[in-house]
Amino acid sequence: MPDTPSTIHRAQKNIRKKMQEGTVISFTTIVHPPKGFGKEPRTVGIIELDDGMKTIGQLTSSKVSIGQRVTPRMRLMRVNEQGLRTYDVCFEPMEGELVQEKEFTGYIIALTGPSGVGKTTISKILTTKVGDYAAKVPILTTREPSDQDEDEYEYIDPKKFEILKKQGRLASCSRIPSSTQSRWYGYRKSDIEAIWEEHKVPVVITEMGLLQDLVRTYSRRSILSFGLLPPGKSKRLMLSCLLHRLRTRGRDTDASIDERMKNAERDLDFFEQKKHLFDDLIVNDDLDSVVGLLKGRIMAEVRT
Amino acid sequence: MNQDVFIVGTGQTPFGEHWDKSLKDLMGEAVTSAIDNSDLTALDIDFIIVSNMLGERTNDQAHLGAMASALLPHRPPALRTEAACASGSVAVHTAISLLESGRAENVLVIGVEKMTDVSSEEISLSLMGAADAEKDIPTGLTFPGIFGLITNRYMHEYGLTREKLNKVSAKHHANAAKNPNAQFRNAIPEEKISQSPSIADPLCLLDCSPISDGASAVILSSTNESPIKIKASQVSTDTLSIAERPSITSFPATRDAMDRALDEAEITRDDIAHLETHDCFSIAAVINLEDLGFAAPGRGIRLYESDSKPSVNASGGLKACGHPVGATGIKQIVDLIKQLKSSNEKYALAHNFGGAGATCCIHILENVS
Repeated sequence: MPDTPSTIHRAQKNIRKKMQEGTVISFTTIVHPPKGFGKEPRTVGIIELDDGMKTIGQLTSSKVSIGQRVTPRMRLMRVNEQGLRTYDVCFEPMEGELVQEKEFTGYIIALTGPSGVGKTTISKILTTKVGDYAAKVPILTTREPSDQDEDEYEYIDPKKFEILKKQGRLASCSRIPSSTQSRWYGYRKSDIEAIWEEHKVPVVITEMGLLQDLVRTYSRRSILSFGLLPPGKSKRLMLSCLLHRLRTRGRDTDASIDERMKNAERDLDFFEQKKHLFDDLIVNDDLDSVVGLLKGRIMAEVRT
Repeated sequence: MNQDVFIVGTGQTPFGEHWDKSLKDLMGEAVTSAIDNSDLTALDIDFIIVSNMLGERTNDQAHLGAMASALLPHRPPALRTEAACASGSVAVHTAISLLESGRAENVLVIGVEKMTDVSSEEISLSLMGAADAEKDIPTGLTFPGIFGLITNRYMHEYGLTREKLNKVSAKHHANAAKNPNAQFRNAIPEEKISQSPSIADPLCLLDCSPISDGASAVILSSTNESPIKIKASQVSTDTLSIAERPSITSFPATRDAMDRALDEAEITRDDIAHLETHDCFSIAAVINLEDLGFAAPGRGIRLYESDSKPSVNASGGLKACGHPVGATGIKQIVDLIKQLKSSNEKYALAHNFGGAGATCCIHILENVS
């Protein structure tokens, strides 16, 4: 067993990421644990944590079922030959908290990326090119319409948005920080489900909040998640490329560009921190090849 | 394939517990039978590839290439391949590349594993090297545990029952009764499978392939012809840890390797008469048939409920033949050749994977006689 201080040190770095509640995907009781884990049977589960990351961990009880909610607990896992005590996160099944298993209803293509990276353009070309197989999901927003907007938004009164949210009719919603007004964005469940009924793949444009919420609603498995990065070898170069694009497209005021750039920096960090939320990170340096790649993925899903 | 590759000789030791034989003895026995089986002499061999996963852990023995080379009088160049339980088929894949490149003309591929020299606790930890050592091992997971997780989830998604799953091992045991090289040559009634001791719920002892010793060998040639030709050889990979995959009830590496192998061979699934799949655990046999495209998702068990074409694991599979890790992928090819020769059918397919489908290697064989 890799039980040296250095391997244990590396493992400890990931403990904080696992300190969250989750849902049991599957579990098993191992009657003969391997060397170093004692003689008692161990119950081990594969857990989908609430941020969408999956992990394998010991369960504190063998009385558990698939779909049950679990909560993290720090436990002594083992003592190595030199007497080094190793602690790790275990998961404790929560009483009566059997969540309705999220049934796999179909795939959703999610495009995530900072402002100006080309999400709207890509989704527009994509849904035109493979319109028989994919459709864009309208974005609900509480913000004021602006002249520069194209037909991507459906404007909604903040109160109505709040009601939809409370009734659980939103697949995902998120507030995007802005100094001027409180802006909520979201997707209706009914819009996504209507596209599935036509046997098409819904395409959504997300940002970090919307993506995480979408994962919570439909499970990580349903989301074909693509992160779009601007070209550039470093974060600084990527940001300057975005700034250039935002200025040339002329849709935003200087103040709005400033705000978008601040959010963009956060978005780029998000790709690093939440790698597990993405199936692929794509650099948008050539529109045709990005669209071609996404088209391939859609066609592969439609065929199966 | 850039070059016609023929299988000109095959050999194996019986699989089982060989307490009186070392790694070298087992290799020697397989090599001798492969050379005897061919029209070649030892001196015709111009390259050796040894497949082995656990030599360092089980016998403190690395450097198996040189050890194998010393078995032949002229000591041809040799190397070793390791891809967990797929080491054997990856060794054949590597041999084919040497033949295609023209670097060698007659390559001897040996698979060997000696697992009974250490305790079963030690073996189960060693085998975990096929999973992600830093993600999966610290939780106390074992390979039966990984497949226990997969089985439980599969039953949840597709409603497979424990009784139906019993059919898999029962059929493998029945098939092995006719195989003189199999570790277990006893038929076992279906209900006894789930009555055997629990290993990783819902998997029982008789759902798991055993710990075995054994060696197998094939001689591949680009210059000497034989009635058996390799039509396709494809390798595909996936993440080591099952926690990093979107679904645990299907192995994408199998799907990918299968698509590419059929393209390479320019045949369809329906042309395949015999199948040897990697049934390290009973649930894997079911999932393999779905990933290979012989059954729809959730329906793999149906091929175990009737005798239909293609024949599946007629040798007895890993479950009943035994699973000396490095030898398995090569032994599948040895068995398929026997099946093709006796049925006189045209195509057979060997499916061998490592870990929980993290490396998958598929070979398609053609009977050209």
